[in-house]
Amino acid sequence: MTETSSSAAAVNRGDPISQFLDKIRLSSSAATRNTNTMMEEDNEESPTELNTINSAGGFLIVSPDKLSVKYTNTNLHGYDVGVAQANRPAPFKGLTYYFEIFVKDAGVKGNVAIGFTKEGFIMRRQPGWEVNSCGYHGDNGHIYRGKGTGEAFGPTYTTGDTVGAGIDYASQEFFFTKNGAFVGKIPKDIKGHLFPTVGVHSQNEEVSVNFGKKKFVFDVQGYETSVRNKQQMAIENISIPPNIGYGLVKTYLLHYGYEETLDAFNLATKTTVPPIVIAQDNAMDEDDSSYDLHQRKTLRKLVRNGDIDAALANLQDWYPQIVQDDKSVVCFLLHCQKFIELVRVGKLAEGVKYGRLELAKFVGLTKFQDIIEDCFALLVYPKPEESPVGYFLEDSQRELVADAVNAAVLSNKKDVCHLHSRLELLLRQLTVCCLERRSMNGDQGETFRLHHVLNNNSTRR
Amino acid sequence: MSLFRIFINQDDDDMATSKKVITREEWEKKLNAVKLRKEDMNTLVMNFLVTEGYVEAADKFQRESGTKPEIDLATITDRMAVKKAVQNGNVEDAIEKVNDLNPEILDTNPELFFHLQQQRLIELIRQGKTEEALEFAQEELAPRGEENQAFLQELEKTVALLVFEDASNCPVKDLLDISHRLKTASEVNAAILTSQSHEKDPKLPSLLKMLVWAQNQLDEKAVYPHINDLSTGQLQDPSE
Repeated sequence: MTETSSSAAAVNRGDPISQFLDKIRLSSSAATRNTNTMMEEDNEESPTELNTINSAGGFLIVSPDKLSVKYTNTNLHGYDVGVAQANRPAPFKGLTYYFEIFVKDAGVKGNVAIGFTKEGFIMRRQPGWEVNSCGYHGDNGHIYRGKGTGEAFGPTYTTGDTVGAGIDYASQEFFFTKNGAFVGKIPKDIKGHLFPTVGVHSQNEEVSVNFGKKKFVFDVQGYETSVRNKQQMAIENISIPPNIGYGLVKTYLLHYGYEETLDAFNLATKTTVPPIVIAQDNAMDEDDSSYDLHQRKTLRKLVRNGDIDAALANLQDWYPQIVQDDKSVVCFLLHCQKFIELVRVGKLAEGVKYGRLELAKFVGLTKFQDIIEDCFALLVYPKPEESPVGYFLEDSQRELVADAVNAAVLSNKKDVCHLHSRLELLLRQLTVCCLERRSMNGDQGETFRLHHVLNNNSTRR
Repeated sequence: MSLFRIFINQDDDDMATSKKVITREEWEKKLNAVKLRKEDMNTLVMNFLVTEGYVEAADKFQRESGTKPEIDLATITDRMAVKKAVQNGNVEDAIEKVNDLNPEILDTNPELFFHLQQQRLIELIRQGKTEEALEFAQEELAPRGEENQAFLQELEKTVALLVFEDASNCPVKDLLDISHRLKTASEVNAAILTSQSHEKDPKLPSLLKMLVWAQNQLDEKAVYPHINDLSTGQLQDPSE
């Protein structure tokens, strides 16, 4: 029990209802950045060509299309390797990164190498010979990772072969392919940005690079799918208590005061064949989230119907302490909503009057300033629903205010500290675990976003 | 001097293998910083109600929360009617209903169709209609068994029920168990959902599994407060 209260104290520092103001700001920023945000986040710039400036000039020639290199020197020692890096580092927000080379001519000795290096790599050394680099070498099929000597890894490769190098960000491994077949993988112990790199080191060696402009020989999408499926299988094989979803849905409905849904759901689960046994039914009774369910339901319904006057009147009757402070967040949200409802039905003059009467007192309070300005901006547009502040007129805004009122009633009860439903607690934990693990991988790999999981059926192939 | 160096090195090794420790306070800060959208949570709940077939609740939830169900609620009613028919042993009725819904479902799922026919045979045996059962097995099921070895074995297993006067002694008595009806019912339920291009399982249990998985993964690298009891969602200190 001390457990709960201590955690709640940490969560509830300050006014718990204030979080709803941030939620409005969230919809505001989402609206201004509009739908491109998601795309932006996922679209990293990929390597497209070889870097001609930072290549080992003198030893090799990069072709005009910047997609192939040729060794023109006669190699004499270990410091005249012809190396070229890609113009950009490998993107790291996806599940994998992959590129391929085609050996046009293995030259005199076939000292071709493919791999990854860091920005400050010595361009006269083969990838893998220096620390913080790795390379798969054609002459002996060895893998080199930061030491002068290689380790037996895969087959050799020569003229006519296509060889690929990739990074699996989920498992933090490098992988290599030859002529479309998977060769093997090694742990990736290099942190930070990595540049696709190719090395040539004997006369007439010529290699072209494919950064994805042409179809890869290796089925990298199939590889990604298998990585994803493997992870999905591991997840699906985890066992959780049966019917646990039922209890979570019930407490969620309770928490937010969706009383009619809850009644229908309860009725249905009782008559299901076989009856759904929910282990935590007892625990649920002790939960404070059933507190004043009916009142909360009524208030939610009024707000959702846009009947703010009635909601305020009921609050005044049932929970005068909530509306006592007329500059509280709940009061602010409700008055804003009333204003919004007037704009919605085109009663602009009445809206202005109401604004002067009820909203003027919030002007100048930093906590509310930006929101109140955005709210008044509704008056400026002939078609407010299509304006940048149109999010105020969306259904989600009513839901948000209804949630705020619900939270105010819940926190009004002594010792009730359930700011979040149980479902929300679990989803937050899931999100943080995934974020944290990703940050320990140097922020590489895919990010977990509930929104994506819900809208993307392809994650469960 | 050399001793001192050894100590230092040991220390370094410990540092390399030790896990990052995240205190409860830090962790809670991270939890509170998560931007969860209410619409997404509502969508998750709606998905559960729809997939599990709680049409009344889904309808109320749409009204109470403004969340749009991902498929037409009327199709849930039809789907649940089929499921219920199988659960109650009215397999013939169920097959008819599935075909009314979409004849392609059974046409393209020979295995499902066989399982439904097998269930029908089981129901006949349960009712003691031996002659009718035999006739049905020979006319409807045997031809399918000829096409498919696995079906034939299933058929033989089922017909074995007839041999035993007292089915409770029969080695394949599980077929008569109510759980077999439920298995068939959920198979047909899944097929209907798939035909409606809907996933056959709700997303919520998968996300819960994913939470357990994500915690296991993070355990390898960090010590942090856990949620061990999924039903309460209560955070437990790492020391506990």
